[in-house]
Amino acid sequence: MSSNRPVDAMFNRRALIAAGGGGLVFAGLISRLFQLQIMEHERFEVAAAENGVRLDLAPPQRGRILDRFGRPLAAHRQAGRVSFVREQAEDLPRLMAELAKHIDISPERQARLIRDSRRQASFQPVTVKSELSYEDFSRLSVLAPSLPGLQVEMAATRSYPRGRDFAHVLGYVAKASETDLERLSEGANAQERAAVRRLFKHPDMRTGRSGVERYAEEWLRGEAGFRKLETNAAGRIIREFDDPSLAPKPGRDLYLTVDAELQKFAIDRFGNESGAAVVLDIESGDILAFVSTPAFDPNDFVNGISFEDYAVLRDDVEYSPLYHKAYDGTYPPGSTFKMVVAAAALEQGVITPHERIYCPGHYRFGNNTWHCWKHGGHGAVNMHWAIKGSCDTYFYEIARRMGIDAIADISRRFGFGQRWELGLTGGRSGVVPDDAWKRANKGEPWYEGETLNIGIGQGQVSTSPLQLAVMTARIAAEGRIITPRIIGEGPRPEADIPMDAPLDPEIRQKMKEGMYGVTSEAGGTALRSGDLGLGGPRLAGKTGTSQVRRISAAERATGVLKGENIARRLRDHALFVAYAPHDDPKYAISVIVEHGEGGSKAAAPVARDIIAEALRLDARRTPAYTRTASVGGGVGTGSGGP
Amino acid sequence: MATLRASSLDFSRRSLWTQVGSLPWGLILMICAMAMIGVATLHSATFTNPEEAGLPMRQASRFGVALVVLVIAGLVPIRWWFWGAWPSYLATRILLVAVEFFGFTRGGAQRWLQIGPIGVQPSELMKVTLTLALAAYYHKRWNDFSGGFLIHLPALALILVPAALIFRQPDFGTTLALIASGGILIFLAGLWWRVIMAMGVAAIASVPAIYFFVLQDYQRERVDTYLAQLTGASVNVMDDGYQIEQAKIAIGSGGLTGKGYMEGTQSQLDYIPEQHTDFILTVLAEEFGFFVTSGVLILWMVILGLGLAIALRAASLFARFAAAGAVATITFYNLFNVAMLLG
Repeated sequence: MSSNRPVDAMFNRRALIAAGGGGLVFAGLISRLFQLQIMEHERFEVAAAENGVRLDLAPPQRGRILDRFGRPLAAHRQAGRVSFVREQAEDLPRLMAELAKHIDISPERQARLIRDSRRQASFQPVTVKSELSYEDFSRLSVLAPSLPGLQVEMAATRSYPRGRDFAHVLGYVAKASETDLERLSEGANAQERAAVRRLFKHPDMRTGRSGVERYAEEWLRGEAGFRKLETNAAGRIIREFDDPSLAPKPGRDLYLTVDAELQKFAIDRFGNESGAAVVLDIESGDILAFVSTPAFDPNDFVNGISFEDYAVLRDDVEYSPLYHKAYDGTYPPGSTFKMVVAAAALEQGVITPHERIYCPGHYRFGNNTWHCWKHGGHGAVNMHWAIKGSCDTYFYEIARRMGIDAIADISRRFGFGQRWELGLTGGRSGVVPDDAWKRANKGEPWYEGETLNIGIGQGQVSTSPLQLAVMTARIAAEGRIITPRIIGEGPRPEADIPMDAPLDPEIRQKMKEGMYGVTSEAGGTALRSGDLGLGGPRLAGKTGTSQVRRISAAERATGVLKGENIARRLRDHALFVAYAPHDDPKYAISVIVEHGEGGSKAAAPVARDIIAEALRLDARRTPAYTRTASVGGGVGTGSGGP
Repeated sequence: MATLRASSLDFSRRSLWTQVGSLPWGLILMICAMAMIGVATLHSATFTNPEEAGLPMRQASRFGVALVVLVIAGLVPIRWWFWGAWPSYLATRILLVAVEFFGFTRGGAQRWLQIGPIGVQPSELMKVTLTLALAAYYHKRWNDFSGGFLIHLPALALILVPAALIFRQPDFGTTLALIASGGILIFLAGLWWRVIMAMGVAAIASVPAIYFFVLQDYQRERVDTYLAQLTGASVNVMDDGYQIEQAKIAIGSGGLTGKGYMEGTQSQLDYIPEQHTDFILTVLAEEFGFFVTSGVLILWMVILGLGLAIALRAASLFARFAAAGAVATITFYNLFNVAMLLG
């Protein structure tokens, strides 16, 4: 060291002072480092762990809906989907333009998607297209990393493997609309409302709009969970943690009492006709087939049906595919009502089974004339013959003798005039008219002449195909209480009070004999449909024709217009109710062929084939859901699980 | 040109190999080690980002070039440095003025100058040439006549003129560094303690004035953020405060032994901004922990201490001041950057 000059000594002294200062600062920094890394380590470790982890709402998988033998009616299918997150996207119009190079999105749709995204929280994904083809999915997956905010993923989509077979029963799911959100968060507090809203805004989330899907929403929905994701500071997902405690709880499976094979057979049997059919298990009240045709494909609704496609369904008023004819449709029961009228007359004692009434082909009452369907008349007929030949004159007479209140009372005991709560949306009660009803609804008293029309199942009385099937089952059942049900295992509706005051066995016997006569004795209106083609057992049933229009006196004089001579929408509905086998009733059925004109011609063969198929399939055999349950399926009750 | 005594500055008669052998190889090895740590850390900081993939290689090759320059610079006779001191200082000042008029903007400040194919940042050159100029100035002053307060005023001018130019760019950090390391040289040159005290008092007194009249808005914000953190007040998390907080989380979560090389969650998931430049230490701290990080700081202290030893051993005043200035500049940079992160 050259400290020969005074300046060198000072330099050295001062350099060491400066170095000491620097050293002190270094020491300070190291102790600060010690403080951060050792003393406060835990706090920062927690902060770092929380930093990269994001919890994303994970919607639950909706429960399946199965038929009585466990065949899936509503299930899931994996489908590719492309969506974007506004928050992560840098330039939405550019993103759209890039996407449009690969998949078909019109400029209007692009604009609408961008508008939609601005109307909701910025972190909520907006679906651009679901149901991507495999090619589109792979192409977009390659593209995604270079376009921030773009998400291409596989997602579970509700699917209805049996298409239109169960459209009206299952209903369908759709994205929750504002109305749906209102309904789903009814009675909830603000926090719960927000949670519902957040869940149902998720692109994978659907809610039941109609049918079982809607009624059993809570049963099927399950509970939302979370996906635990590691993300970087920009929010991009790096990987996903497997955390079973956070996983969503899937919804429960729901069993219906229906037999998918029988349902399919029944729909096919209708061909191009429009109509409805209900098959009941007489022992349990299980609905085995619940047909309304034509139907729509609920798969079309899952991702939103286009306005044009919906308009086609909605505007078809003649075939009305959106309408659940078996449950929501009400029709005058026509002659299928005659057993009820006969039973009422016997119970009231206004006639005996043996008394004959003469039918000249018409019936005069007051200043008016009522016509029998058979122009030349039936001659003198007793009750058995009147049912079998469906003699209108006989029923005008007995209806007039007992009056409307007797008919109304027994009708209710057969299940008419009330809505059966099955666990579906819809369902109509129909009308069992009487004096009180008319005063309340029309502001007029009941006229006796109207009773005559009710006697043959025309006029104000209206019934649904389901109610007709219940009536038939109640006639055929040996005094058991029959309540229809369609939910096998699931949220069973509260039991209706079954209006089923038992009839005198003798009266019931007469009714069954009459129905047997219809299909199996000379003079029966549906003689050709009595043979099930199974060897022994036969069908017992009753034809009916439901008037669509009034027939004027002038038309009756020149001959009633029929078939090709009249517009389809003006033709009468054809009805048929039946049970089989005739000697040991197992199945009850009601069939309506809209505008089919004659019950024996159009409806009876359909009913016969369906009921024969039910017997062949043994559709009522023990359902899958009772095999695993500890208690056997309850008989004829609407409440309580199996 | 001032005359130099041959005895203190002339090594030219010694053979090249003797000269190479007399270079401080221990120090150079430590610098190499430090550079390798730097490249490794840079790799961890950048390997996830394809745009930054080439950076560690570039850093390594630049260091290779710098190492060659370092050895050559070590062999250049100290006389040449002395002769070059003033011209290089003046040239750099001209460049700094040129930046005012022709410079281009990068990162919000006008610091760069395009000369032919290369971009030059004259403020960086100034750190070297100012040190050389001050060393040359004091060498001459102390050899001509001794002491006095007034000899420090020209030195102050040498510092403040470029400092003012750099502050206008604006580059607050480099301005501070320049004033600080220049100030150290004035201190080493024997500025009276009472003047130092007075300046200290004046500096503290002028803080509010500087805050309100000298600082730009964004600089004021930065100071505000820092003060807010010190007092524990809430800060806008998306702003500067957020970055500093994330850096602290990274450092703190590293713990004693770190999360492992390339395993730092904060660093790898881009929570740290500018982690390959200003915030590189956070990557080291998070992935290697306290032992290694404090080891690196201690290694720096050793390197700087060896530099100081060279200054103390050197014969000529020019060499002593130049070496001390270099050590001061690097020390100041180290402390400034580390202190910024540790807050």
